[in-house]
Amino acid sequence: MEEKKNKTKRRLWRGLTTTTASLLALSLSASMVIDTFRTDIDKFLGTQSSQMITESQSEGDYVFQSDYSSTTELLDAIEDLGERMNEEGSVLLKNENHALPLTEEETQKVSLLGFSSYYPVQGGDFGSTLSVNTGTDADTVDFVQALAAKGYSINPTVQNLYENLKGEYESLLTSLWGTSENVNRITAPAIDGTFSSRELSTDTMDSTDSTWRDSMNDYNVMIVTLARAAGENKNYMPGEAGVDPEQNLNQSDPLGLSDTERQIINAAVDAKAENGGKVIVLLNNASAMEIEEIKDNTGVDAILEIGLPGGYGFYGVADVLSGEANPSGHLSDTYAVDNSASPAAQNYGNYSWTNPDSAYSINSEVVYAESIYAGYKYYETRYADVVMGQGNADDAVGSSTGGAWSYDEEVSYPFGYGLSYTTFSQTLDSLEVNLEDRTVTAQVTVTNTGDVAGKDVVQLYVSVPYTDYDRANLVEKSEVQLLDYGKTEELQPGESVTLTLTADAQDMASWDSTCANEAGTTGNYILDAGDYYFTIGNGSHEAVNNVLAAKGYTEADGMTDAGNSANVQTWTLNAMDTASFAYTVNGTAVENQLADMDLNYYMPGTVTYLTRADWSGTWPKTYENLTATDEMLDIMDNDTYEITAQGDTDAITWGADNGLTLSELKGADYDDEQWDELMDQLNLEDAMIRTGFGGTSTKAIESISSPEVIQNDGPNGINSYTLGQYANTDENSSDPYVVSEDDPNLNYKFGTMCNETVIGQTFSKELAAEYGRVIGNYSIWSNLTIFWGAGTNLHRTPYNARNHEYYSEDPVLTAYQAASYIAAGKEYGVIIAPKHYAFNDTEINRSGIATFMTEQTARENGLRGIQAAVEDAETLGVMTTYNRIGITAGNAHYGLLMNILRGEWGFKGLMSEDFIQDANYSVLKEAVHCGVTMTCNTGDSTMEAISAKWDYWTTDNVSQDAVLMQDLKNVMKWQYYAIANSNAMDGLNETSKIVEVRTWYDNALTAAQVVFAVLTIAGIVMYIRNMKKEK
Amino acid sequence: MKNKSAGFYMMILTAVLAVIGVVFYLINCNTSYFSNLGVNTGLVACMVIAVILELVYVFGYKAPVSRVLDLIPVVCGVLMMVAFVLFISVRANSIASILTFENNAQTMSDLMSAIVGMVFCLLAVIFNIVASFFKVVKDEK
Repeated sequence: MEEKKNKTKRRLWRGLTTTTASLLALSLSASMVIDTFRTDIDKFLGTQSSQMITESQSEGDYVFQSDYSSTTELLDAIEDLGERMNEEGSVLLKNENHALPLTEEETQKVSLLGFSSYYPVQGGDFGSTLSVNTGTDADTVDFVQALAAKGYSINPTVQNLYENLKGEYESLLTSLWGTSENVNRITAPAIDGTFSSRELSTDTMDSTDSTWRDSMNDYNVMIVTLARAAGENKNYMPGEAGVDPEQNLNQSDPLGLSDTERQIINAAVDAKAENGGKVIVLLNNASAMEIEEIKDNTGVDAILEIGLPGGYGFYGVADVLSGEANPSGHLSDTYAVDNSASPAAQNYGNYSWTNPDSAYSINSEVVYAESIYAGYKYYETRYADVVMGQGNADDAVGSSTGGAWSYDEEVSYPFGYGLSYTTFSQTLDSLEVNLEDRTVTAQVTVTNTGDVAGKDVVQLYVSVPYTDYDRANLVEKSEVQLLDYGKTEELQPGESVTLTLTADAQDMASWDSTCANEAGTTGNYILDAGDYYFTIGNGSHEAVNNVLAAKGYTEADGMTDAGNSANVQTWTLNAMDTASFAYTVNGTAVENQLADMDLNYYMPGTVTYLTRADWSGTWPKTYENLTATDEMLDIMDNDTYEITAQGDTDAITWGADNGLTLSELKGADYDDEQWDELMDQLNLEDAMIRTGFGGTSTKAIESISSPEVIQNDGPNGINSYTLGQYANTDENSSDPYVVSEDDPNLNYKFGTMCNETVIGQTFSKELAAEYGRVIGNYSIWSNLTIFWGAGTNLHRTPYNARNHEYYSEDPVLTAYQAASYIAAGKEYGVIIAPKHYAFNDTEINRSGIATFMTEQTARENGLRGIQAAVEDAETLGVMTTYNRIGITAGNAHYGLLMNILRGEWGFKGLMSEDFIQDANYSVLKEAVHCGVTMTCNTGDSTMEAISAKWDYWTTDNVSQDAVLMQDLKNVMKWQYYAIANSNAMDGLNETSKIVEVRTWYDNALTAAQVVFAVLTIAGIVMYIRNMKKEK
Repeated sequence: MKNKSAGFYMMILTAVLAVIGVVFYLINCNTSYFSNLGVNTGLVACMVIAVILELVYVFGYKAPVSRVLDLIPVVCGVLMMVAFVLFISVRANSIASILTFENNAQTMSDLMSAIVGMVFCLLAVIFNIVASFFKVVKDEK
């Protein structure tokens, strides 16, 4: 009996020992793993594992100053700007019989129809998601809350009906960690998904509450909200292929209307016929919807495009509806009748290689066969050619109706279009082209000719000559292109103002890949000989009509409107100019850098690019089922830089004791000689680890006493962390921006701004700059410095569901909104980085997709959209792209990254990869060689850890290659030059040094290890004692 | 077999779970998304040694060295726990990437074998702990 009892006890101790030993193993191995993920753990828990200790700190150590004295003022500014963004960024597209603005009485009789009125899309499904804030000084609101706050009264019968039926319009949303949740707003399809309309059928509504229609007699201002969601890694497929096949709702395109959406509009129109009210449609979207039938519906009085308004934009929408604010937004995209009929849409999809290889991220390809003709550049150019009778423009090819191509059948609302509650006249008073200064200067007088105050947008367009030379050399010319824009202050009725616009003349130059250049090769910017027409207008179509009128065409030639030749100024160039832009602003001779982006470079004769010389004969076919050749596969394996013994390695100094710290170079010029001395202090290992593990924060380096700098995502605000996570709460600090630990705003999360399309629609560089200033102030208070916050890719088609993070289809509007924003933020020390450099215009297979286009398309569309952010705003950060440049990994293309970005444009700053975790596709050695300063990977700051990820990244290997070591020196200098000129250095001085900090979780883990170790030992001892007893 | 007790069956089950866990890990290592990350030999070694020790334990228990074998569950617990943590460690970044930036049918499919493998590894750890409280044979020495 005793023996049995002992045996039982022995098993008990064995079991307990196994338990504690397993937990001891867990705690010991976890502590090793923690070092690998320390940054992310700190981010999650709000802890810090290292900090800078600074002696004799004073206010003078804080260079960048906030405009605000409290977090309340800061949040008030954010809220105020968010409201004004939608006041100026909402676009009034239709306003029959002055339906808008509503009278005060009408604001008390509002019926909200469409479930999106109650559950609107305010941000992306993922990426620029709305941060919902409560309990702060700037709580976010939805449409209903905003209307209530602005004093509107909403039909309770309809509101209750939608609330009671909310289970009927749920959408499944896959959340951050793969879990799915039902949400009541519409969601965007996954990459391989389809769009499901969730709008309620009126039958369902009738059967639930038959009184809802009659209730609108008392609430006869019917506002119908139609929404299309947006999201990173989301996608709309063109045409019926993009629509849920299980639904039979007569929906021909995911961005077109479904029958249930038509039903709700018609219900409102029917009610209006009975109650004499108004029908107003709100478009809650970032991807241009197909709304021709709403435009043509005479029962619909007004259409207002509101974008994704973020947390405060609905206040602005409410003000626009009531006339408290006069709309001044203009479309940043063309609203086409049939999006799938555009030439770009012919090659928008998932076109897998016939020989994909996931080991090397070889998945699919996309060919920009439309050449430069995306967005309005296509519609207006083809229209002009129809009028001018050239290039087979009126052929049925590309027509959405199947008949002869006709502008009115293709475009609902043109790029740049927008209405106001007042009327304006604009006159182009003067126009001067100064190629020596690289400027085009226009003076435009704007007069408010209506009877209410309002702001107006001036859009300056240019029409450049399309010559025989161009036809022979395949240089394409858009009939009109935006050259610059400006916005007036609020003008009272009868008031005039003259705006001076100074455009960059290079924006009207064309890239000619065949032209000789100053580098002695080919590829140059040219200005053709001929007449240049400059005009203004309410959108691209009015502009092109003005130009056509100036060219002598009339409505008899097929023009949709007579145009106004009086608003056209001409400038004549007598001979082709190949000199004015042969050198960039910094004196670098331009040449072809992207010839390998043309698929014909590798597969001659494969692609026919669209040319206006023959619209029908060169209409894009879909390039699919392509097979990468062996030559291509050699590049696509992403191993294009060979580490080898080369150069004078002794000439490169590491680990010098020069006694400098990064703080001593605060604000230093790039040419300051001390930079080289500081960089010599770095160890080779420092440089190798920091380039490899650069993700989520730029870690401290002891040898130069550089601080950890936190990175943040956007662009709808610094939304990665709360305001309080890294804010300074040390009351003994000299920091002017110390916050109290019980400040209610510490939990505020700044993912609250409207989406970038709305910012684009403001056509206001000042508002863009104001956003930069708010971001800058927030950065100072929150101590969050690096912000991947300016989306500068283009809306090549509306089908990219990530268009909400980018401004426009137009590169000039994109470039100058971004540049204004970035430059303003820089004044406050925040590094606002444009992304994604370059051509990340689709989310389909983005990690590996091969992107093909001509160099002219690349330079005049995608690259022009970011160039001003570098040349003019002198951004200190850039994020690269997931996609391939041609077939070369996006982080391995020397021509794009080194020759254009850092060479031609003179970029000096940090440059991060996007979130590429694959060791092969993140191409570390190639990236460093191409000027990328860090990947977005994280890991333990040891050579063992980094060599485990990239086996070639060892000191033995790299130290034999002087070229690569110099590359490492270069990228470290760029990175720390950017940081030294940012607010990350605030509070630091020459005494600052890094100290490691044990976090509470380090202590907890150590305690757990000790406890489990003691218990394990105790268990073993007891086990042995029992065993002895058994004997 | 009549002499076998609950611990025997639970240890066998533990070994089976561990084998399934490591097989799913290896399957996962050969999926499109994860193939570039290679095979973590430490993880595989820990699991394989643990499985071998489990088998030695349950089938060799009657041997004269039983009193030494008696502590094998402790060692197995340590090995399997280390393997489990390594499994999570080598997949954490990729999981984060797939569930956020690279979420599509292919990557989710590739991810599934990792998730299944981790679950089996964890179950093996738990079953090993539970089994260690029980005797392997009814007439345990």
